[in-house]
Amino acid sequence: MPVEHAIRATGLTKRYGDFTAVDGIDFTVNRGESFGLLGPNGAGKSTTMRMIAAVASRSAGTMSVAGLDPEQNGPEVRARLGVIPQQDNLDEELSVRENIIMYGRYFGLPRRWLNAKTEELLEFAQLSHKATARVEDLSGGMKRRLTIARALVNEPEILLLDEPTTGLDPQARHILWDRLFRLRESGTTLVLTTHHMDEAEQLCERLIVVDEGRIMAEGSPAGLIRDHSTREVLELRFGMDRNQEQAQQLTALLSSGAASADGAAAEGRATGDGGVGVGGGGGVGFSHVEVLPDRLLVYAGSAESALEQIHAAGLRPMTSLVRRSSLEDVFLRLTGRTLVD
Amino acid sequence: MSTDRLTAEPELQQPVSPAADKQTMAGRARRFGALHQAERTLRSMRAYGTVILFSSVSQPIMYILAMGLGLGVLVGEGGDFAEYGASSYLMYIAPAILASTVAMAAGIEFTFPVMEGFKWRRLYYGAQASPLSPGQIASGHILAVSVRFGIHAAIFTVVLYLFGAISSPLGVLMIASAMLGGLAIGLPIMAYVSTLRDEKGQMSLIQRFVIMPLFLFSGTFYPLTNLPGFLQVLGWFSPIWHANELGRVLAFGQPSPAWLILLHVLYLLGITVAAWLATVRIFTRRLGLEEWRGRTPGAKADAKRQDRLAVKDAADVDRSAGAGTATTPDSTTPASTALPRIAFRRGFGANYYSGNIRAVFGRGLTAIRNNRGVIFLSGLLEPVLFLTSFGLGISPMIAGVDAEQVGLGGGGTISYAAFIAPALLAVSAMNGAIFDSTWNVFFKLKITKLYRTMMSTSLGPVDVAVGEICLALFRGGIYALGFIGVLLVGGLIDPLAAVLMWCTALFVALGFASVGMAVTSFMTRFQQMDWMMMVLMPMFLFSATLFPISVYPAGVQAFIQALPLWHAVELMRDIAFWDFSSLTLVHIGYYLVMIVAGLALTTYRMKKLFLR
Ligand SMILES: Nc1ncnc2c1ncn2[C@@H]1O[C@H](COP(=O)(O)OP(=O)(O)OP(=O)(O)O)[C@@H](O)[C@H]1O
Ligand SMILES: [Mg+2]
Repeated sequence: MPVEHAIRATGLTKRYGDFTAVDGIDFTVNRGESFGLLGPNGAGKSTTMRMIAAVASRSAGTMSVAGLDPEQNGPEVRARLGVIPQQDNLDEELSVRENIIMYGRYFGLPRRWLNAKTEELLEFAQLSHKATARVEDLSGGMKRRLTIARALVNEPEILLLDEPTTGLDPQARHILWDRLFRLRESGTTLVLTTHHMDEAEQLCERLIVVDEGRIMAEGSPAGLIRDHSTREVLELRFGMDRNQEQAQQLTALLSSGAASADGAAAEGRATGDGGVGVGGGGGVGFSHVEVLPDRLLVYAGSAESALEQIHAAGLRPMTSLVRRSSLEDVFLRLTGRTLVD
Repeated sequence: MSTDRLTAEPELQQPVSPAADKQTMAGRARRFGALHQAERTLRSMRAYGTVILFSSVSQPIMYILAMGLGLGVLVGEGGDFAEYGASSYLMYIAPAILASTVAMAAGIEFTFPVMEGFKWRRLYYGAQASPLSPGQIASGHILAVSVRFGIHAAIFTVVLYLFGAISSPLGVLMIASAMLGGLAIGLPIMAYVSTLRDEKGQMSLIQRFVIMPLFLFSGTFYPLTNLPGFLQVLGWFSPIWHANELGRVLAFGQPSPAWLILLHVLYLLGITVAAWLATVRIFTRRLGLEEWRGRTPGAKADAKRQDRLAVKDAADVDRSAGAGTATTPDSTTPASTALPRIAFRRGFGANYYSGNIRAVFGRGLTAIRNNRGVIFLSGLLEPVLFLTSFGLGISPMIAGVDAEQVGLGGGGTISYAAFIAPALLAVSAMNGAIFDSTWNVFFKLKITKLYRTMMSTSLGPVDVAVGEICLALFRGGIYALGFIGVLLVGGLIDPLAAVLMWCTALFVALGFASVGMAVTSFMTRFQQMDWMMMVLMPMFLFSATLFPISVYPAGVQAFIQALPLWHAVELMRDIAFWDFSSLTLVHIGYYLVMIVAGLALTTYRMKKLFLR
């Protein structure tokens, strides 16, 4: 039964007692796509992953994974999945090699085939030299790599990665990214959560941002940046306790300028819990100011000219940095990470 | 807004906190650190305080009813305890039972929590980061456990008084002797456990090979002199014997020479102090700057096996590579052949059972491979120890068991050893199955979370449950083999009965394992296991194992007959004495129901647990 989508969820809800962890979300993951779930701690990402992986029941809503309902066809759905849980759950009573072999056995794969496959996976995880070591003796990153290698043993159609690169060194991270690219090319569907926005930008074709169990935005990384942020960002530090008042001042200063011709700038967003100011522009395409605990983020089409205006007004930030807008800015904006209100 | 967001401004304007004065803080920790640690341990014990209190009250009552009154009837006329200063059998065993239950508690409190601290929950590493010294962490635990012993012993003593099992007010002092006995047996074990980096069945070995034998050969239920000389030696070394004897002197003034009393005290104190120091030393090695990680039991054998496997696997890889197409040595293109089809069942119950029990069983075998020899040995030894202790120790006090009285045809008397042998086999089958299906399952469920891993593959809950039960049976089968062999050699049963009894042992184990697993699936904490033990203990004591139930009034008999162990014991006796009746079918039916109900409930719970 060839189905277009790999995963489709509608009205997906998960309640623990009277606490709602996932609150009626809808999403579709197409076959061969790499799909990201972003959101702050406790947003409900892992819970969503567990429902996809047929290890948690739904409180409401429908879900189909590879055309099957995970609650009705648990084993069959899981046979098509590779799962990398947020926390490594390796078998400490077995050696590194045995961990992969036994995991494959759980899928009912023949031992002979597994022997060869395991060598290949060990090589991929760069653990060949540790094949006979005890799991306990591995470093944190090695354990993570083993967990990843193990999840690939059944050559899954859909790979669920819950913060896969946590604890990996830069090399290992790049190797994993490379491997994931290749998997995607060979048709594997990837679903991943991550707190590294660069990773999401690199890996995800499409992503949703969830907060408190609800979807805040959906789209491609570039699209999200276009829709929810300006082209550039100016990071300013004024020192402890002064950020808040400076924000007011900056907003007043920058939005008082002439109306901007820059289309990328303000598109009259209601300030939910987000930035201090909305609006006007100046020649800088100013949008708003975001207050972080340690610094201010000034969103503007041209951060360079915003900085000039600020200097001209006699303000002297301790440090300043001009950079391009990134997914992180979108994330901060959407999940209300500012500390105003 | 969610509450777990980082707050922006830490409150700076607080008055000077007690944490500000580091000097005082360090000083306090230096002086009272052990007490802080003890407080922590006691607090965590409070979570299962009810279990402790309940067991302290119920244990003495159970022992009084079972051993004092039940076995007491058999011992009755045969034994005269006046020469020991006691006016009844019950009075004679009371102080020893107190000491023994404290020793049993020591076997738990000085093993599992220590392993938990170092490995399972790494609690000690949390304490290590505080100003506590490793020695204080060790002493804190010991102090807390001593408090627990004290409470247990005090309640126990009160109950004994109420039942008239103690008469002299001086008996209160046996609380001290029992506590000392508990420390003397527990601390060496704690020292040993704290050297372990990994648990590979050592806890159960300690129970089976240290606590049990010491308990059985410490003259708890009979004077040590009833045993042949070489077994008496075992008693002399056992802290439990010294605690027993000391308790008897204190409780009813058992006549003893002064030097012997002094010896008891010095022996117990000596071991306690030496083992305490050793424990502190080991804790210091592991949690101090040295960062010693502990011994891995069976590490050498493991390494050897791994090397062997590596060679074999390499050969396999070469062969399959040679057989397949000659691929380029590019590591990213699959060197292996295409993925074989992943088999799973469809149709009825496909959501629960994927038809791959073998993998779960195989994983268990791989994990226990290193302990092979030990399992055989332990299976052989445990029931043999029981048989020797009760057979040799109590036989002199009991002429024999009247066949009529125990409901066996043929008349005449049966030797006491022949009477208890089949029952002990049933008990051993029960114990093995329960241990495997409760403790072991609990670990994989809650501590190592192995089942969660298994459930993220195409395995279903039934595969996991049945695989685990098969493992329990596998071990149970081996345990039983050893004991039946001994009975066969000893001429207590004939070969045909032996075969049937082995099958029955597996059957009984299956019943207990499936129910045990179902019950375990409801547990959330270790200490709830104690409730389970509280059910098993009376079952062992009352179920016609050591004396016929005809000593009890009809109502009590009916209650005992409702318990599973009684059916197992009777079934074994029916086979051993080749005396079948319609009741035999009832026994078999009872177990069939247990198996079906247990499996059904286990499956239901597994599904619930893993598909939350
Ligand atoms: N078994 C459970 N019982 C009760 N509440 C739970 C349970 N599992 C998760 N939660 C709650 O559900 C919410 C979502 O948890 P979840 O693990 O999905 O978050 P997450 O998005 O993965 O966060 P993180 O980025 O920190 O991993 C949290 O508030 C958590 O406390
Ligand atoms: Mg998570």
